[in-house]
Amino acid sequence: MSCLPRKLELFYDLLCPYSWLGFEILCRYQNIWNISLQLRPSFLAAIIMDSDMEEYREKVGGDQRIQVPTKGIYGFNSYLEKLRKQEYMKNELQYLGKFCQVPIEIPRDLRGVLIDKGSLNAMRFLTSVHIEYPEMLEKVSRELWMRIWSRDEDITEPWSIQAAAEEAGFSRKQAMSLLKKSSTEEVKNKLRENTNTAYKYGAFGLPTIVAHMDTKPCVFFSSDRIELLAHLLGEQWQGPVPQALKGKL
Amino acid sequence: MANLPRKLELFYDVLSPYSWLGFELLCRYQNIWNINLQLRPSFIPGILKDSGNKPPALVPRKGKYMMMDLQHLKNFYQVPIRIPKDFLTVILEKGSLNAMRFLTAVNMEKPEMLENVSRELWMRIWSRDEDITEPQSILAAAEKAGLSKEQAKSLLENSSTDKVKNKLKETTSAACNYGAFGLPTIVVHMDNKPCVIFGSDRMEMLAYLLALQFLGRLCKTDLLAPVSTRRSQI
Repeated sequence: MSCLPRKLELFYDLLCPYSWLGFEILCRYQNIWNISLQLRPSFLAAIIMDSDMEEYREKVGGDQRIQVPTKGIYGFNSYLEKLRKQEYMKNELQYLGKFCQVPIEIPRDLRGVLIDKGSLNAMRFLTSVHIEYPEMLEKVSRELWMRIWSRDEDITEPWSIQAAAEEAGFSRKQAMSLLKKSSTEEVKNKLRENTNTAYKYGAFGLPTIVAHMDTKPCVFFSSDRIELLAHLLGEQWQGPVPQALKGKL
Repeated sequence: MANLPRKLELFYDVLSPYSWLGFELLCRYQNIWNINLQLRPSFIPGILKDSGNKPPALVPRKGKYMMMDLQHLKNFYQVPIRIPKDFLTVILEKGSLNAMRFLTAVNMEKPEMLENVSRELWMRIWSRDEDITEPQSILAAAEKAGLSKEQAKSLLENSSTDKVKNKLKETTSAACNYGAFGLPTIVVHMDNKPCVIFGSDRMEMLAYLLALQFLGRLCKTDLLAPVSTRRSQI
């Protein structure tokens, strides 16, 4: 008797290279494991800001042993200003890229890309794709990641997003229509809704994976809990590049 | 022609449960892989202060997530972790300074005992929810690890000397100089530059980069295959 596929939600943001790693690994396994992978474009900056605000609120009047942050409430900014973590990330991503066979290259102006430029337009576009052409979401996400995290190209301008959409297989007309839709309230609300859903599951960063198990949802943060997830699902982990795909990447 | 063993330094603090996971994983592999595992007792508050980082447990969401994560990982890695009842007091008020100074003394006088004593201290704080700050607690762990009462007392006395205090500071600084912002931090000494890895969840990646055979998180030696001719990736 075959089991129903287990629903797995992947909440991700293009801004996050670890999201790309988690995305590629899960995409590779979606036809190997008995899972139904559901991609959920979300907005990382909002999640980080909300968790920092929550932290700030809990500490004021809360446990006095915990220090109130002094670096301002835009947590994302203060996070990246921790240069040591940034330096570490640059090295680690090169190792992870090789290991996971994902062609990650660090953008020259990392801070500019992550803080000044961000990913709001691109995530709204992906939300638009998610609503209109969900079967194309995987390809367009990948093309946008290739721009920002492999070729150090822009993903904020309309023509950048359009180029990625066409590379993924959309016609110019479809791409332009989706771009127009991105700035509607429907799409903005949908992105907020996905992001809030992740937050309600306890997310404090992305990628966040939610596996809907028999008893309750199991939440995993980052791309390095997929082997554990496999174990809990009773599936076989074959590394980040499963056998069925070796030689095809 | 046999290669020289690759030097791997593991910077850890018994206050950190993820350090325990990394420690057990590397200990499982130290006789399988051609590595020279060097344990480096360090002081996590020193690293956090130096890097401007803060412990995940202090961020409410991260703290909640960590509790859940450790419940999964203890089964997955078969390390008997149990969250202390008064977790924040253990981490924030009690800490691990005396224990880490003791381990530094062990490392200086009886390095062959460092693995066992570290493990017994972890079992106290992170498995049986027992104290590791009082002299009698540390002595109990030391004796359980195989040191005699006299040896344990002598090491405890040494722990409060400037020599040992400075050595702990030095080891912690060394981790910071490698770019550590938390523990566990693993430093793999490659030909061209050291490869620094944070966390206990990069073993498979490490094996891949060093062209070493990964036998799973439990290191199942029945999976041992002939030596791979794959070359190191870094």
